[in-house]
Amino acid sequence: MRVAKHKKQLLFGGLLLGCLLLGGGYLIYREAEGASAPRDPYRVAMIVKSTDSAFWKSVFAGAAVAATEYNVELTTEGPETEDDYETQNRLVKTAVEEGADAIIFSAVDYNANAEVITEAAEEGLPIVIIDSDVNSSLVSLRIGTVNEDAGSMAAEAVLTQTEGPLRIGVVNFDENTANGQEREQGFRDRMAEEDRVESIETINVLSTTEDARRGTKELLKQHPDLNAIVTFNEWTSLGVGWAISDLGRRDDIMVTAFDSNVVSVGMLETGEVDALIVQNPYAMGYLAVENACQILSGKEPEALHIDTETTLVTRDNMYLPEYQKILFMYD
Amino acid sequence: MKKKRWSFSAVTTALVVGMVAVSLLIGTGVFLMIYQRAMIQSVRTSSSQITEQVSDIVEDYMADIRDLMNQIRRTEQMTPEEREEFLSSIAMVRPDVTAITAYDRESGALLEAWTGQHVLKEQILVNLSFDEERLPEEGELLISKPHVESILVNEYPWVVSISGIVKDPEGREQVIVLDTRFSQIASYIDNVGIGKHGYCFIMDEEGNIVYHPQQQLIFAGLKGENTELLESSSDGSLEEGDMIYTIRSEEENNWRIVAVSYVDELIAEGLRDCLLILGVLLLLVLIATLICSIVLSNQLSKPIKRLISAMRDFEKDAASFSFQPAGGSREMTALSDSFGHMVVRIQELMARVRNEEIILRKTELRALQAQINPHFLYNTLDSIAWMCEDGRNKEAVDMVNALARLFRISISKGHELIPIEKEVEHAKSYLQIQKFRYKNQFEYFFDVEEQCLHYYCNKITLQPIIENAIYHGLNRMIEEGVIRIRIWEEDGDVIFSVSDNGVGMTKEQCDALLKEDSGRETGIGMKNVNDRVRIYFGEKYGMRIESEPDEGTTVYIRMPKLEEEPHESR
Repeated sequence: MRVAKHKKQLLFGGLLLGCLLLGGGYLIYREAEGASAPRDPYRVAMIVKSTDSAFWKSVFAGAAVAATEYNVELTTEGPETEDDYETQNRLVKTAVEEGADAIIFSAVDYNANAEVITEAAEEGLPIVIIDSDVNSSLVSLRIGTVNEDAGSMAAEAVLTQTEGPLRIGVVNFDENTANGQEREQGFRDRMAEEDRVESIETINVLSTTEDARRGTKELLKQHPDLNAIVTFNEWTSLGVGWAISDLGRRDDIMVTAFDSNVVSVGMLETGEVDALIVQNPYAMGYLAVENACQILSGKEPEALHIDTETTLVTRDNMYLPEYQKILFMYD
Repeated sequence: MKKKRWSFSAVTTALVVGMVAVSLLIGTGVFLMIYQRAMIQSVRTSSSQITEQVSDIVEDYMADIRDLMNQIRRTEQMTPEEREEFLSSIAMVRPDVTAITAYDRESGALLEAWTGQHVLKEQILVNLSFDEERLPEEGELLISKPHVESILVNEYPWVVSISGIVKDPEGREQVIVLDTRFSQIASYIDNVGIGKHGYCFIMDEEGNIVYHPQQQLIFAGLKGENTELLESSSDGSLEEGDMIYTIRSEEENNWRIVAVSYVDELIAEGLRDCLLILGVLLLLVLIATLICSIVLSNQLSKPIKRLISAMRDFEKDAASFSFQPAGGSREMTALSDSFGHMVVRIQELMARVRNEEIILRKTELRALQAQINPHFLYNTLDSIAWMCEDGRNKEAVDMVNALARLFRISISKGHELIPIEKEVEHAKSYLQIQKFRYKNQFEYFFDVEEQCLHYYCNKITLQPIIENAIYHGLNRMIEEGVIRIRIWEEDGDVIFSVSDNGVGMTKEQCDALLKEDSGRETGIGMKNVNDRVRIYFGEKYGMRIESEPDEGTTVYIRMPKLEEEPHESR
C-alpha cells in the first residue's frame, strides 16, 4: 500500500516535470519559430492628399524603406487634387473593407474627413496622422511638422530678409485643411508682434500650380504695393514663383515658399523665391510606417505627437553641405 | 507530523536530473562562449572579405576612371571638332557620368562643359564640382566629397567629382572634372549583406560618408553612423556596443570601407538553437532517468520497501505473521531469505516459551489444588466434634461423609478434568458442610441441564465461587441468603452460573477479584479458576461477573463442551 502510494507520487511528479519541460520546450520552440519565421506582413494603407508632388513622393520613399525594414505590405494612395476629401473618404472605406491593419492618413479637410477616420478607428485600426490633422479623438499618433512653428519660421525669414514697412500677401490653399491654417496662424501670430507690418492680405486658392499662379497675379493686380508673399505648400509655392516670374517682379517681392522640388529649388537659385521652409517628408513617411508597425505589434507610442524638423533654406545656404542633404533626395 | 523523508528513487531521479541539467547548462554556456567567439571570428573574416571586395570594386572603378581620363588626355592630339565629338559622346553614353567640365588651371574659369542629355544652367549660382582651392597635381586624380550636382537645370543628383590635369589641343593646361554617380559601386554596396541586418559603407578619411546604403535615412536624420569613432580607429575589427565594425582603408582614394554587423543578432540565433537542443536533451534525460528509476525501484527500493513493511507487520503481530520472501537483486534475495529464517526461528522460540509457561502454570496450579486449607479443615472437624458431643450422630456422619467426598473429588486421582456430575457433587458437599456451619443461614438450589452432567469441566470450578458468595455476599446479611447454581448448554459451550442475593460488589471489587491470587479457605481463589479455564481452553473462555450493590452477584463461567476426557499429558 505504502509502496504503491509512493510510486504514484513519483510518477505524478515525473509527469508534472515532463509536462513542464515539454511546455518550456514548446515555448522556446515557438519563440525560436517566431523569431526566425517572418510573421504575415502587416497591411498598412497610406492615404494622403496627393500622389505626384515631390513632398509626397519623398514621404512614400521613406515609407517604402520602413515597409521593407519592418516587413509591411504598404499601399500608397491619394486623390488627384488636394481638395478632394470625398475621394479620400472613399479610399479609407475601401482600405478598411479590404482588411488593412492600420491606416496612415493626411487629411484634406479637418472636419469632412473626421467621421470616416473615427469609424475606421472604431473598427480597431490604429490611425497614424501625418502632415495634416483631422478632427478625431481616436487617432493613435500624429507625426509631422509643428505647423505654427513653421509659420513662425516663415515670418522670421521675411523679417530678416527685408527692411522697412511690410505689406504681405498670403497665398494659402483650402481653408478646410488644418495644416495650412495652422501655418498661417503661426505666421500671423509672429507678425502681430512687429510694427513693420502694415497689412496682411490672404487669398485662398486651389492647391494647384495654375490656380495659385492665377490667384497671385490677381492679388498683385489688386495690391500692387505688396513687398512680401508667403505661401504654404509645394503647389502654391510653384504658382507664386511662376506668377512672380510672369510679372518680372522677383527683385522687389520677397517670396517665402514651402517645401522643395527641383523647380522651386531652381526658383530659389534664380530669385523668384527667396526662402524655402523645407519639411522632412522622408522622415514622416518612415516614422509613420515604423510607428504603425510598432502599434500593431502591441507597443504603445511613447508620445501622441512626433515632431519632424523644418529648415529654413535660403539662396545663401542652399549649397552648404548640411542643407544639400535636406534639400536634395539621394536616389 | 514528522518531516517527510524522500524515497530512494525520488532522490536518484532528482540527483540524476539535477546533475545532467547542471552539466548541460555548463556545457551549453561553454559552447555558447565558443560559438560566440567563433561567430565573431567568422563575421570578422567575412567582413574583411567583403571590405576587400568593395575595395577591389572601388579600385576597378578608379582604374576605369583613370583610363577615361587618359583617353581624355589623348584628345590633345585631336582636332577641336574630334575632341568635342569624343567628349560629348562620353557624356552621353556613360550613365554614371553626369557632366564633364573643363576649367582654366590658372583662372579657374569654366571653359567648356559636356552634359550629355542633361541641360547646363545658363547662370550657375554655385559650382560644387570645381574647387579652386583644391587643384589636382599633374598626373593625380583628385576626388571630392559627395555633393549635389549644382550646374544642371532641374536635376540635382548626388555625385562625386574626379578631377585631373589635361592639356587642350592648344597645349594649355586644363582641369577636367568628371562628375560621377559611381552607381556601380553603389549597387554593389547595396547588395552586400552581413548577417540579417549587417551592411557596408564607404567614408572618406575625414569621416564624411561617401556612400551608404541608407544614405537618405542618414540625410533625414533617422540614422547615424559613429563616424568620429571610426575615423580615429585604425584598420581591422572593432567591437562597439553590440556591433562589430570592420574597417579597411582603400589606398588610392584614402577612402575607408566599413562593414557593420550586429553581434546580438548572430548570437541570438545561436542561443535559440542551443536552448532548443538543451530543452530536448533535458527532456530525453528526464525520460531516461524516469525509466531508470522505475527499473531501480523494481530492483532495489521496492523489495526494500516490501521488506520494511513486512518487518513492521512482524513487529505488530509476531505470532501470526507469515513471511513471503521478496524478489529483486541477489543481495535483496539474501537479505529477505535471512529475514524469513529469522522470523521462523523467532516464532519457534516464542511458541516454546509459551508452552513452557503453560506447563509451569499447570504445575503451580496442581500444587495449589493439592493444598488443603487447614483453617477450613479444623473448623469443619471442630463442628463435627461438637455434633458428636451433642449426640447428633446422624448429622456428624453426614458431615464426615461430605468432607470425605469433598476431598476425594478434589484429588480425583490427579485428573484436572472431571465430569460435571462430580463437580456438582463436590459443590453440594461443600455447601452441605457450610450450611451446617452457618446454621442454615442460607438456602441453595441447583438447576443443571441433564445432558450437561456427562460433560467434562475443570475440577474445583464452582467451589471457590460459592465460597466467595458465602463469605462476601451472604455472611453479612441479616435475612436468609439464597445461592442458585445453574449449568446449561449454549452455542456448543457450557455455561456455569452462581447467583447470590447478597450485598453485591462494585465494579472495582469485581475486577480486583479476578486479579487477586489468594484463596481464602481451600487455597484456590476466583482468579485461579479463571486462569485455569483460560490456560486449558483459550482466551475466549473464562469468567464474567455481573454485580449490583445491594442486589446480588452473578458469576458466569464459560467452558467448551467436552463430551469425553481428552488425553492429557502429565
